[in-house]
Amino acid sequence: MTDTITPPATAATAPPARSRRPYRVGRGGRGWLVGRGALLLIGAAVTLFPFYAMVVLSFKPTGPVTFPDSLLPWPFSTEAYDQVIGAKSMLRWMWNTLVYAVVSVVGVLLFASMAGYAFAKKRFPGKETMFWSFLAMLMVPYHVTMIPTFIIISELNGVDTYWGMIVPTLANAQAVFLMRQFIASLPDSLFEAARLDGCSEWRVYVSIVLPLIKPILATLGVFVFLWHWNDFLWPLIVGQSIDMRTLTTGIASLQQENVPLNMLLAGSVVAFVPIFMAYLIGQRYFQEGVSTTGIKG
Amino acid sequence: MRVRKSLSAVAVALVAALAATGCGGSDSGGSGKTTVTMWTYPVIVDEAQHRAYWDETVKAFQAANPDITVKVEIFPWANRDQALATAIAGNKGPDVVYLIPDQLPKYARNIEPVDKYLDDASKSDYHENVMQSVTIDGKMMGAPILTSAATPICNKKVFADVGETTYPTSWNDLLTLAPKFKAKGYDVTAYAGDSKQTLNQTFYPLLWQAGGDVFAADGKSVVFNSEAGRKALNFVKQLVDGGYVDKGLITNVPSIEQTRVGQGKVGCVWYVPVAEVEKLWGKENIQAVPHFTETKQIGYGTVGSLAMLKGSKEKEAAGKWIAFATNAENTKKYDLASNFFSPRKSTGALWTDDPVLSVQEKQVSASTVGPLHEKARDVQGVLFPEIQAALLGKKSVEQALDDAAKAADPLLG
Amino acid sequence: MVALPESRVRGSRPARGPVRRPRRPSAREAGTALLFVLPFLLLFALFRFGPAIAGVFLGFTDYTIGGDTSWTGLENFRRLVDDPTFWTALRVTVVFTALSVPLSMLASLGMALLTRRAFRGAKLFRSIFFLPVVTSLVLAGVVFTWVFADGGPWSRAMGALGLPAGNWLADSALVVPALVLVSVWSRFGYGMLILLARMQDIPAELEEAALTDGASAWQRFRYVTLPQLRPALFFVAIIETTVSFQVFDMIYVMTGGGPVRSSYSLVYLLYDQGFKYFDLGYASAVGVALFVMTIVVALIQRLTLGRDK
Repeated sequence: MTDTITPPATAATAPPARSRRPYRVGRGGRGWLVGRGALLLIGAAVTLFPFYAMVVLSFKPTGPVTFPDSLLPWPFSTEAYDQVIGAKSMLRWMWNTLVYAVVSVVGVLLFASMAGYAFAKKRFPGKETMFWSFLAMLMVPYHVTMIPTFIIISELNGVDTYWGMIVPTLANAQAVFLMRQFIASLPDSLFEAARLDGCSEWRVYVSIVLPLIKPILATLGVFVFLWHWNDFLWPLIVGQSIDMRTLTTGIASLQQENVPLNMLLAGSVVAFVPIFMAYLIGQRYFQEGVSTTGIKG
Repeated sequence: MRVRKSLSAVAVALVAALAATGCGGSDSGGSGKTTVTMWTYPVIVDEAQHRAYWDETVKAFQAANPDITVKVEIFPWANRDQALATAIAGNKGPDVVYLIPDQLPKYARNIEPVDKYLDDASKSDYHENVMQSVTIDGKMMGAPILTSAATPICNKKVFADVGETTYPTSWNDLLTLAPKFKAKGYDVTAYAGDSKQTLNQTFYPLLWQAGGDVFAADGKSVVFNSEAGRKALNFVKQLVDGGYVDKGLITNVPSIEQTRVGQGKVGCVWYVPVAEVEKLWGKENIQAVPHFTETKQIGYGTVGSLAMLKGSKEKEAAGKWIAFATNAENTKKYDLASNFFSPRKSTGALWTDDPVLSVQEKQVSASTVGPLHEKARDVQGVLFPEIQAALLGKKSVEQALDDAAKAADPLLG
Repeated sequence: MVALPESRVRGSRPARGPVRRPRRPSAREAGTALLFVLPFLLLFALFRFGPAIAGVFLGFTDYTIGGDTSWTGLENFRRLVDDPTFWTALRVTVVFTALSVPLSMLASLGMALLTRRAFRGAKLFRSIFFLPVVTSLVLAGVVFTWVFADGGPWSRAMGALGLPAGNWLADSALVVPALVLVSVWSRFGYGMLILLARMQDIPAELEEAALTDGASAWQRFRYVTLPQLRPALFFVAIIETTVSFQVFDMIYVMTGGGPVRSSYSLVYLLYDQGFKYFDLGYASAVGVALFVMTIVVALIQRLTLGRDK
């Protein structure tokens, strides 16, 4: 696709408009790269340090942790995990959490991408109002809406059911915002071309939008998954019987009122780290950036 | 309720458009039988043991009452008020729930008195102060199943290190010991002042020992800013100012093994349960002492009870279950399994062989659960920050207590 | 309408594809669009909008669990105005937000700029930076309590730098800055993703044009990138302000609102009133106040930071 307007000075040398090839703008290549690398490493270190601490501290014997020795992986002890892993209903909790997380991910990605597509690329009456109302509802603290939401679920007989847990979390406005932002960056001409070819809207969505936003779907999917995997308060309230407990609430039901630091962290590590590691390792298999589809400009 | 009705209307209207996804969860009970649900919390530390206890007790009950099924759900301690309150609001609460006295006034409107489900023999079997701790407006709001006496516990090793052989029995004793402990690098005691502590365990025992109280007799005003209150707060302030307690605990209390208490650097504490320091100090190092005496000899003790919710649809059955679960025999078994004391006179002492628990058990009659006032929590909410302010030196003791009283009185309406 | 080069630099949307006259959407187009929005819209209406309305409504009642509920009109709000704890909580929340939003946006912007180009590991870094966003704040609170503890990593580092060592969470003046740091750590990844998405949208030739015109990196950033980012920045500002106004979970775990209420946020007040004291009508009133406050600030941000989209 070409832009019909090109800056006069570079008309002769203008690269294909809106390409995503990795180019280095600016001088000082080496120095800039090193500087950027350093900053990124510092940023990553600062970001990851609490997670490192979480894992290391969970593998310590119950007792006082003094810094800086506590950051070293010894003394090493799995006593915090014995209590957690040995739980009878562990598998059941894992299954519940899996259902909760996976179905929610599918639901959120589906509905958020559909809505995001509509907000990014289509026009319809009430669009602005709707968007702002989504934003506005984020401004109501969750404690205020918790009881009314529970009452609604309870009236619909959803207490202690999978769907009762899952469905309210599908109304994820932040996911819609992310989708909208990414889909907005897709070139309009793709859609024009498809429409000219006579594709139905659903086909456009399925064959054009979805493949192009695969990276953000993957990213958002993992993060919605992690968020559900970690969720405590809502599963606690909706999953009333021990059969419906998730990992977080189930592990908490084993704990005393005042939990030692290592046990507290062990519970969270079990619920969180394996997925995180799997993602970090697997993320390189997700497509880089928004790929061009070979449509001639 | 109006809110619920209008919400149902909306829900019904929209449910047609909603595609119901996924499978359902557990199905509700079978036909013909009555089901009683009970929510409890990890009172017995070991989960397997706890489950086993209730499985056994339920089996015995169901054998005697074949048309009643009992389901006991063990909930996490964390966020339990939120879960319970939301469930009650949504009409999905349990039939029976384990409550402690701190919760009783707040749930009073939602609890069905259990007087008529317990036989008279049981009712007269409870200790006087135990009965008081579950009675609101002359009605029993819960059937007591366990009790405790949170007496001060001292670390024998620390005392040995400092070279002291007698354990404190009064505030004066603590103040006399304080410099000696400080000289050896120990704290004589600890005061935890953060928001997660209940004042019933930290400050109120001192208030009561000084002869004071939180509420006036008619419950319409607070009297913690009395002479006794000032005395109590001044005592803590003396400890803080003298460097005899860890100042950090006034504002932040991490998990116990991270504190000086957990690390064996403190002489005696009155706000910590035995179970929490058993592993950290070593059971043989714990010396329990009677509640301190100032003007009165008194301290805090909790009472765990089973309460029936008004929303229960099976009150008769729930009543039978409560009566069974809290009868003398089962109470005794439960208390032995959970390291608590019996609320009943007839059981006698359970822990005569345990050096630590036997001392505490004797103090049950000198223990109180604190005021069962409807606004007890609210008052704590305005009092503890003022106590913090006084201990941190931001306000004088008189000013802090008076400011707290000023903030508390309007709450009592 | 032909877009001129200058108008691009000023930040208006460049025309893409053939020049188009704005037209009203056809009924068919609007219809299909609404169908796409419908599932989310229904879920939203039932589980966000409905409960929010109900919650606001409760603010005008004396609702407690299981008691009789009656309409009390503005009584709760009058009580709010007279309640010194409310004003304390308001002050704490505003100060906290005023500090955390700019810092978080700066971090988001910085990290977005750093991970913008495609280079090996860019995706990995982006994922790492997004990780705190999906971490439960309770868990973060537990870890950071340890980080800030006396003798822990933070106090040692501060001591080495000559800044106040000791537990920042126990100091009335430093507790809010400490919480701000945790908040920035936990949120910057979200803004970063939004800004990254928008950055990918900036036509490459704009920057190259500026480059050939002799602009330095800073000038390119200031006159090309930044104006293009304005709508996204505005959006991030609103979201971050909204989230910061509602800070609670980490405060609950780390400081309990102390010392002496110096970290007592509005949602903490809401939680105490609602789930500790069971005065849900009053708690909802706090929620309404918070909601109104956020809307007002969002409108102000809209006026100053510019248009949406």
